[in-house]
Amino acid sequence: MAHLVNPLATPAQLYNLKSSSQLPDDLQEVVFTTTQCLTQAAGLLLELPQSTTAQASVLLARYWLVDSPMMHEFSDVSAAALFIVSKMGPLPQSARDIANVYAYLLSSQSPLLRAEKPTGDNPAEYYLSESDYYAFQNRILALEARILYALSFNTHVSLPHPLAITYLQTLDFLGLGDKKDISARVMQHLNTALLSPQMLYVTHQPHALATAAIYCAARDFGAKMPESAWWEVFDVDREELGFLVVGLMSVDNIMRKRREDMPWMNEGAVTRSKVEAEMKQRGLRVGNGTKRGNDEEDEVMRMMDSR
Amino acid sequence: MPPSRWATSAEDDARLAKEKEEKRRRKAEKARKLEQQQKEAEAAAAVAAQNQPQDDEQSEQRPSKRRRLSPELDDDAPPKLLRFDAGGWSKSRSVENYDKLNDIEEGTYGWVARATDLTTGKVVALKRLKLEPNDRSGLPVTGLREIQILKDCRHRNIVSMEEVVVGDDTHRLDNSIFLVLEFVEHDLKSILEDMPEPFLSSEIKQILLQLTAGTAYLHANWILHRDLKTSNLLLNNRGQLKIADFGMARYVGDPPPAKLTSLVVTLWYRSPELLLGVKTYGAAVDMWSVGCIFGELLTREPLLQGKNEVDQMSKIFELCGVPTDESWPGFRRLPNARSLRLPKNTLTTGSVIRARFPNMTSAGAGLLNELLSLDPERRPTAKAMLQHEYFRQDPKPKPETMFPTFPSKAGQERRRRHEPHAPGRGEAASFGDADFTGILQGRDKEERGAGFSLRMV
Ligand SMILES: Nc1ncnc2c1ncn2[C@@H]1O[C@H](COP(=O)(O)OP(=O)(O)O)[C@@H](O)[C@H]1O
Ligand SMILES: [Mg+2]
Repeated sequence: MAHLVNPLATPAQLYNLKSSSQLPDDLQEVVFTTTQCLTQAAGLLLELPQSTTAQASVLLARYWLVDSPMMHEFSDVSAAALFIVSKMGPLPQSARDIANVYAYLLSSQSPLLRAEKPTGDNPAEYYLSESDYYAFQNRILALEARILYALSFNTHVSLPHPLAITYLQTLDFLGLGDKKDISARVMQHLNTALLSPQMLYVTHQPHALATAAIYCAARDFGAKMPESAWWEVFDVDREELGFLVVGLMSVDNIMRKRREDMPWMNEGAVTRSKVEAEMKQRGLRVGNGTKRGNDEEDEVMRMMDSR
Repeated sequence: MPPSRWATSAEDDARLAKEKEEKRRRKAEKARKLEQQQKEAEAAAAVAAQNQPQDDEQSEQRPSKRRRLSPELDDDAPPKLLRFDAGGWSKSRSVENYDKLNDIEEGTYGWVARATDLTTGKVVALKRLKLEPNDRSGLPVTGLREIQILKDCRHRNIVSMEEVVVGDDTHRLDNSIFLVLEFVEHDLKSILEDMPEPFLSSEIKQILLQLTAGTAYLHANWILHRDLKTSNLLLNNRGQLKIADFGMARYVGDPPPAKLTSLVVTLWYRSPELLLGVKTYGAAVDMWSVGCIFGELLTREPLLQGKNEVDQMSKIFELCGVPTDESWPGFRRLPNARSLRLPKNTLTTGSVIRARFPNMTSAGAGLLNELLSLDPERRPTAKAMLQHEYFRQDPKPKPETMFPTFPSKAGQERRRRHEPHAPGRGEAASFGDADFTGILQGRDKEERGAGFSLRMV
């Protein structure tokens, strides 16, 4: 059983993500990161174990490497990913609970992704009528089948979190201060990595993510690290470690910068229509991802032919 | 190839030759595929890199060499393809890539057919994922778990799944999701029903050994099968047993989840703790089923054929004895046990397993006895069972290659058959409700004569 490894994105898939959605890099990043924030927030409100939410985030990332992010509303894909993962796990969530949580998070009453925090005292704003709920449920069920089809029903996700704990124990020699503090910080970095627009969980294996998160946490705490290339013990080379560390440390900065560039990002969850409006403003054509070829291979073949 | 009781050696020779040829062709095909995959990936990478020269981060994040984590992953992939250790993902292929030959089974829950892969010519079994029409909870969790578990398993005694394919309309997948399974000629139930003479003890040993090896693999990987029975055990013409039908299976942790449904396992193979409504159970429920299958292999008849839950319970007590605080500490705390009234005198109510199988060696009877321990704690684990004396004593397990071959029924239309009380797929059945009380009270008088009484107080 391949329980410590994940399938990784192919170069063609990574390339295709850019070409199919026709989103400029910065918008692409914004869509990815803010939708993953939404998934995390929903997981918290549904009181799901972090492992469930994290797996949903990874499924979503994989899915967007097959179907363009612009094909469905971002929040629906996020909700469907949570629905699928929770269904397979110990705490299945009903579509209704998920619908309520997303209705709240997308409403003006939720502080999520808002610069000015709302008072949240107007529940009518996130009241879900029966017909709203029915429509939501239809979209989620259709997306459930769609996502599973796009991933050829492979829902297995290996998370780096348990590995990181094991590594930390092995690394006792680092003499890192308080064990609890440092492992909590490692987990934080691993969860931040889920949001990274570089889609680190579909480009790197769990052991590399775990090692990088430990490196970052140790640095945060100013722990003295051994001179040796200790990461090699965990099968990570310096180049990969360096890349991941930069990736982990830069998520906040990237998002801060994007929020400065695009003030509408401070007005709640990012939706397809907001992104489309931004595209129009920049004079870009909006691709909804539907007209593109069925397969990334097709696309690549076409490009090779035209060379 | 030694002569077998069911097939002529000429046929066997022809079959072997064909198999060899098939193997060679498959290998060539596989190699071709891998090569193509690699070429495509390289081409794609080249294209991507060329078209995004400014995007050096993207290419940097793909180190040229990636070490494998563990040597046993994907044994036969050439070292060049280490990147693909865990595979990738892409859309499911269409069921149109297969050509249906015939139905194998139209069972309680599903539909299984024999088909050929149009590109490779390989024969496979297609199993349709049964969907409830208008089910507002989406794809059935049992089916999704079955797929996930089969994807994760790789063992010679577990049926292997090649892929999941879908019908043509990918926007509506209703009733058109198919598991592509390796085709296995027989299931053990049909063989047992049709064979003119019982299995030899060396054959039973080999079958049981393989069942145990497969079960040990599942349990070592935290998987409970929860529906082991002869119709879910497949046997190919090379004497290999494959555990199939993971529709009830699930991953469990250690300690096991606090609340698992006890509505699992087809009635005749269901353990006493499940019948008594236990909420937390483990691998021992599968070991009980293994015991029932052992008994069935000996007699060609299901061992404990209860008509309903209560009858099943009394059949078990008749064979295995009535539980006491010594033989099964704590059983009285189980939900459905509080209402049982059992005789105090254990002299008349001990196990009669040995008496029922008088021709068995004492090691064999001992093993059956252990598997059918009322107390789940006393059943051997699958791993421990592999070391049991029974397998080491003469007659030794018959080598797989010397197994008789059987006429395959899977090549023809198969009849529907009766299987009682298969567990509901996700649906609640009922044990311990008002009806049950009625049955119990009704049974009170009947059972007294049988040496014990079973009733609600
Ligand atoms: N891989 C296979 N090769 C050949 N026959 C199979 C295969 N899988 C299942 N069958 C046949 O189909 C029957 C039903 O399949 P199973 O997986 O048990 O589904 P169900 O959930 O309907 O019981 C089995 O009892 C067996 O006879
Ligand atoms: Mg079955």
